[in-house]
Formats: sequence, structure tokens, C-alpha cells
Amino acid sequence: MKRQRIFAFVKIQLKSLIKVPTALFIILILPVALILIFGFAFGSIYVEDYGWTGQDGYLFEFMVPGFIAISGLFIAIPVALSFSEDREQGLLKRINTTPTTAAEFMVSHIISNIFMAIIQVAIIFVLTFLMGAMRYITLTGILLSFVIMIIFTLSTIGFGLITATVSKSAKAAGGLVWIFLLPQQLLASNLYPLPPETQIVTMFMPLYYASDALSLLFFGVDLGNLRIWWDLLILVAFSLVLIIAGILLFKKYGRA
Amino acid sequence: MNIMSESKTEDFKLKFGPENPNAIEVRDLVKIYTGRKVIEEVRAVDGISFSVNKGELFGLLGPNGAGKTTTINILVGLLDQTEGEAFVGGYDVKKNLPKIKELIGVCPQQASVYQYLNAKENIELFGNLHLVKKEVINERMEKFLNLLGLSKAANRAAKKYSGGMLRQLNLIVALISDPAILFLDEPTVGMDARVRRATWDFINSLKNTNKTVILTTHYIEEAEVLCDRVAIIDFGKLVALGPPKELIAKHGAKDLEEVFLKITGRRIMEGL
Repeated sequence: MKRQRIFAFVKIQLKSLIKVPTALFIILILPVALILIFGFAFGSIYVEDYGWTGQDGYLFEFMVPGFIAISGLFIAIPVALSFSEDREQGLLKRINTTPTTAAEFMVSHIISNIFMAIIQVAIIFVLTFLMGAMRYITLTGILLSFVIMIIFTLSTIGFGLITATVSKSAKAAGGLVWIFLLPQQLLASNLYPLPPETQIVTMFMPLYYASDALSLLFFGVDLGNLRIWWDLLILVAFSLVLIIAGILLFKKYGRA
Repeated sequence: MNIMSESKTEDFKLKFGPENPNAIEVRDLVKIYTGRKVIEEVRAVDGISFSVNKGELFGLLGPNGAGKTTTINILVGLLDQTEGEAFVGGYDVKKNLPKIKELIGVCPQQASVYQYLNAKENIELFGNLHLVKKEVINERMEKFLNLLGLSKAANRAAKKYSGGMLRQLNLIVALISDPAILFLDEPTVGMDARVRRATWDFINSLKNTNKTVILTTHYIEEAEVLCDRVAIIDFGKLVALGPPKELIAKHGAKDLEEVFLKITGRRIMEGL
């Protein structure tokens, strides 16, 4: 693998964040808007014995981990769109006629999307801190949150690649990607309490493990709590399976 | 004036030596499209053989669907042939694709550049993919942008380019690595007459750099002006091969277009 090629791709993919309005909106503006809107709407509502946490606090505080996880999930949209558009415009074929290897191409996409996820999480943390909704999380918890989101990003790239593989056009990809996003968003985001019976479905959704681990960290649960590490372990497994499946499927069926 | 260094061309000579004068060699090449999406088997390329000498500007002509792009796609590694052999720069396309990719530049039929990037960013990206040094990329980029009159628009996003400008950028991207063998698939489609002429001059100037150029085009006049030799393909078969002047004389035609129409028109009439 040649660094010059990987850096060249990472550079242009990060430029897309500034130059492509859809990417800018989905990756940065939407999460910021969600935090601001829900922060101002629910930041002053105090609830007792909230959901599975059994803790008291402001409603918005319980929602923040879910927003962080959902924001990471949104990365699947630009991934699906960019791969589909590159294919439509003949760019994938053109790149395929250069000495670039498939590994270099995919690694560059992983790096740039992880970088975007880090920026996204950092912005949300700053906003949440300014809004006073980070009362219990420790510094180690913040760092571990970044690790969780980096791992979770791999699974969202996998979702994006699978969507791009099965979509015939970028427009179709933009719609199809919601098959992966919406159920996770509705059922596994921890934004609101759901009956335990839903877990039979959410246990198959990587977002559940990301938002669950983030929620534990946000409420200052001791790092020795096995549930955090169990979540992380399952998330790693999900992410590896999804990213590998995404890369293999796209390589075999999605490039033409 | 040579518009490019001949460094890669020199490497290329060393690799193959004078005993192998062919930049490209195609033997009994067949491509059959089958599969779920294809209702009946399509023989897109049907046993064609030809060779292209080093430093030659070689034209592949044919009506729509004749098999030109399929042939090019096999040579650049985008498609696998069904039967036959193909060698690019002496390397077998089935066995040594990575080596071939280091030698070639491809200007595809569709103007394939990143629309949100400007010309300079697109050119720089593809230079980097070929591991060209930054200063060399900048030097060549400036030269090409000037030669094709794109300098003033170099910092404008490609999505704001006209069709002709996009085509020119498409061509520059293919040349940034200074390839020994250049594939130009319909490089002037959609250009107005003035820009097309300027692009012809540019392609013609590539002859001075000892590059091998394989050009497919719908503009028969373009092939007549630019190409040292042409091959006419129809229904996947090679139906004529030679220098334009020889073909014109052989068929008693006034120009290459007449030759083309005589050959391909007759085959259509005969229902071949």
C-alpha cells in the first residue's frame, strides 16, 4: 500500500465535506441542529427514574448518547452516495485503470470517514458541554466514547457499501440506505425508553451497542462495569463483519 | 517541442527491447457477454487480431456497438476476454495487469472526473495515484492546462465546465502520468469544431513524444487526420486494417469516411 495514494484519496474525500452540500449537511449540520433543537426543547425537563438507567436527570441528558450514535449512523448516507456517484460517473472504472489497489482505495475511505466521525463527535461533545449536559462523564469516558464511535463508524461504512452495491443509482442509494438507518434509529438509539421486548430486534443492530455503551459512560458508570466492555466487544464483531461484507460485496458486484 | 519527458517511454524501451516492436498485440480476441442481464449471448468481439507498433497512433473505428470500447476495456483490464490473448507493453492482460496499469493512461468515453473538484485537484489526484512527484505533477499540469487553454478555468469546479472543457480535462488526467501507452476512447465527443481542432493538434503533438496512442472515434475525419493506421471493426470482427491513405486507394474512395461507409454499410445491407 502506498501512502501517496491513500493520502490523495483522503484529501479529496475530506474536501467533499466542504464542497458537497449533502455531505456537509448530513455529517456536520444535521447533528448540530439535532443537539441544539432537542437541547433547547428538552434541556429543562427534569425526569426521575428514567428508563433502564433508573437515574434522575434532565431529559436531554438521556438523549445525548443516542444523538452521538445516530450522528455516526448518518455517515452511511454519504458513503452510499459517494460510491454510487463515483460508479455512475465512471470514476471507479477509471481508478481501476490506475495502479491503485482495492485495498488502498478502501483504506482511504475508512480513514476519511473515521476522521469525519471524530470531528462530528468532537463538535457534539463541545456543544453538549456548553449546554451543561455532560455532568457525569469522566475524561476517560470521553476518550472511550471516541473509540466506540470509531469502531461504530466501520459498521456504518459497511452499511453504506452494501447499499451502494445493491443500488442501481445514487438516487436509489439515497433512499435505500434508510432501510438500514431507520429501524436502528427508531428502536436502538436509546433516545427514549422502549419495552424490554424490543431487545429481541435491537440485539441485531450495532447502533444499540454503541448507544448503550455511550449511555453508560455518560452517566458515569464505572469503567469496570462489564456491560460497557461487552457492548464494545459485540460492536467490534458487528463492525468487522459489516465492513468486510461491505468491501467484499462491493468489490464483487458493486464496481461495474 | 516535446510536451512531455520521455522518461517512462525510455523505461518501456528497456523492458521490451528492440526485439519486440509491438506496444499492443491482440490475437484471436473474443468477448461474449452472457449472464442474467443478457437475454441472448452477445459476441461483442469476435476473434479479432491486430498489433500496434511502439510510437504509433492507431485508430479503432466502427459503428456503434461494433466492439471498440469492449476491446479497449479488455486491454486496460476492465473486462476479461472470453478467448484469445492480449498483450499490452509485452505483458499479458490476464497475468500482469498491475504492470500494465503502470504503463498506461486511459481517457474514457465518459468524462470521468470528480465534479466537485477543480481541474487542478483532479489532475493532482490522478498524478498521485500514479505516484508522480508533486513538482512533476505541477510542471506537467501547467503545461497541459496552457496547451489546451484551460488555465483560466483551472480553479473552477469541474461541474461548472462545459462539455468540451470536461473532455479536455478528461484527456489531461489521462496524460498526467506520462504514460507510454495512451488509450483515448472517443476523446472529442461533444466538443465544438474549434475545441476539437485544438484537441487534434494536441493529440498530434503526442507523436513527437514517442507515445503509443490507441484512439477510438466516431469522427472518421479525425482518424484520417491523426492516425498512422486504422482498424475498422464491425459486428465484433476486424474488417479492414491499414494506413488511411492505403485504405482509401484500395477501395477507390475519396476519403476514409467513404471507405468506412462502403465497408460497414455493405455489411449492414448484407445483414451480417
